[in-house]
Amino acid sequence: MKVHVFLLFILLFPILISAATGCDLNDPDADIKRLFPQSTGYKTAYLSLQKTGGSDALKRVEKSLGDKLSGTYETIDVPYSVYTVFKGKDVLGYVHGVNQKGQYGGLQVFLALDNRGVISNFYLQKLSSKDAKYFKDKKFTSQFKGLALVDFSTYNLATGKGSSKLNAIKDPATSPKSDFAAIMRAVKKNLSLMQEFVFKK
Amino acid sequence: MPSITGIAYKNLRRKRIRSILTIFGIALSTWVLVSLFGFNRGYEASLNNDIDNLGFQVLLTAKGCPYEAATLMLQGSKSLRYMPETVLDSLNQNAAVDKITPMLMQTVFDVNKGEEGGMVGYLGIDPETYPSMKPYLTFSSGAWFTDRDAKEAVLGYEVAELEQREVGDLMLIPEKEVEVTVVGIMKRSGTQDDGTIFMPYKALQTIFGVENQLTSVGIKVKQDVDINAYEEQLYSIPDVQVVSMAQVKNTISNLVSTAKVMVMSIAIIAILIAMVGVMNTILMSVLERYQEIGIMKSMGATTFHIFRLIWFETVILCALGGIIGSLFSIVMASLTETLIRYILPYAPSGALIRIDFMLAIKSIGIITIIGLLSGIYPAYRAAKIKPIEAIRSSEGEL
Repeated sequence: MKVHVFLLFILLFPILISAATGCDLNDPDADIKRLFPQSTGYKTAYLSLQKTGGSDALKRVEKSLGDKLSGTYETIDVPYSVYTVFKGKDVLGYVHGVNQKGQYGGLQVFLALDNRGVISNFYLQKLSSKDAKYFKDKKFTSQFKGLALVDFSTYNLATGKGSSKLNAIKDPATSPKSDFAAIMRAVKKNLSLMQEFVFKK
Repeated sequence: MPSITGIAYKNLRRKRIRSILTIFGIALSTWVLVSLFGFNRGYEASLNNDIDNLGFQVLLTAKGCPYEAATLMLQGSKSLRYMPETVLDSLNQNAAVDKITPMLMQTVFDVNKGEEGGMVGYLGIDPETYPSMKPYLTFSSGAWFTDRDAKEAVLGYEVAELEQREVGDLMLIPEKEVEVTVVGIMKRSGTQDDGTIFMPYKALQTIFGVENQLTSVGIKVKQDVDINAYEEQLYSIPDVQVVSMAQVKNTISNLVSTAKVMVMSIAIIAILIAMVGVMNTILMSVLERYQEIGIMKSMGATTFHIFRLIWFETVILCALGGIIGSLFSIVMASLTETLIRYILPYAPSGALIRIDFMLAIKSIGIITIIGLLSGIYPAYRAAKIKPIEAIRSSEGEL
């Protein structure tokens, strides 16, 4: 019997190690509570640019981002999970994550936003980097609190320059190649998508 | 003069709602029955396909407690069981062996995967022998490793998608902080290989410090070889244990047998309910037409005529229910499959439910026969009605 369990494990092994797909929270109950400690519940909606506005929506997001959306996780029909967080019947805010190509693998960057679209919390769910500990450190993540899409409007993804608030966020990595630019793009993409999905209404 | 079939049809239309509900009940039973037969067929075929896709008939693993090894790996320990690479020499000397391929499985705990961290696994393979064992694996871009020691990786379709890797991109092995270059991305195979990160086993040995160690060896024997006899021979190699893929099939089949029994029980119950439903509907119909049947007999209808009439009504109900149920099972096959995948402890890749025309016809036949059996009693009761008594009585005195 033990042999059989082992063989089953062999068959299931790749599934066990690669269960997470898309950009959902791995443990939404716990993650939402951590990002919004005062929350009492949440509702998940699966939205795509295709559903919410088609190619016009795609163009608006690309314009806001200042870059083309391309690749597996940036097609017009990719579904995004938008978590609306409640305290009783009142909406506290939103949690939304995006995938972004990083130096050593896919990044998953989640933002907790208040009702006005201002970042209240920043969560790197997935990151493969030699400097991961610096990127996940509160010193780095807390710098995003209080920022909104308007702060990113002048941020140039190619040069990494923007408003004084954003220029103040420094790359914490020690290695010459870093995921800093990818994280900044992910944040701007996340905010641009949320503008389209939630805040433009 | 109207035919018996026509009269039976009209009789059913007289109580339309009741007939529709009975047909619906039969359709549901047929759905369960067809899906069950389709599942039995599809599961076995998919399982065989998955096992065959492993590419070898026998797997040699290091001796020890494999259950413990599996548990430790799941819990993040590195305490895997190993066997020396020299075992390959012993295996190659055996005339029964067609091909062998060494494998080394390694896992690391990635603290940056979510809040709690998670496991990342690597399958070390021999680029010279492994591809020939898995001819169905094809590349969407790139190719196998440039050499056996290269710090390179080939990614299954799903891993590449999740990690957003392309040929030429880098990956990082957590804990070891070793960079590997992606040299190949597989096309979707529909097997467990889609979620696998392949690396040259020699490179993995070096990176993880397990030089000359293997976790398993896949063995493909020659066509005319008695696998059982060969397995016995393998036990002469010290510190290994042998598992044939036939055992895996049996194990998985045993694991799902409980689920099959459960589904079978539901099917039997559904059929019994349908039988009782049909019997009840027809018997009610006979009761309501007690005087009518008496008049028919007084006008010259024989016992056999009445028996046939009632039986035809049963056939129409069952045949219609069977056809609708079969169509329903075909349309709902993917939903049923999702449901079954949720219940089963292990579901192979590929279609779990395989329904074809013959299966649908067979199921309609079975349902019709069951219906015919349930129609015997009401038909018999109707046929035995005495005309004088029936005409004298008020309705429902059967």
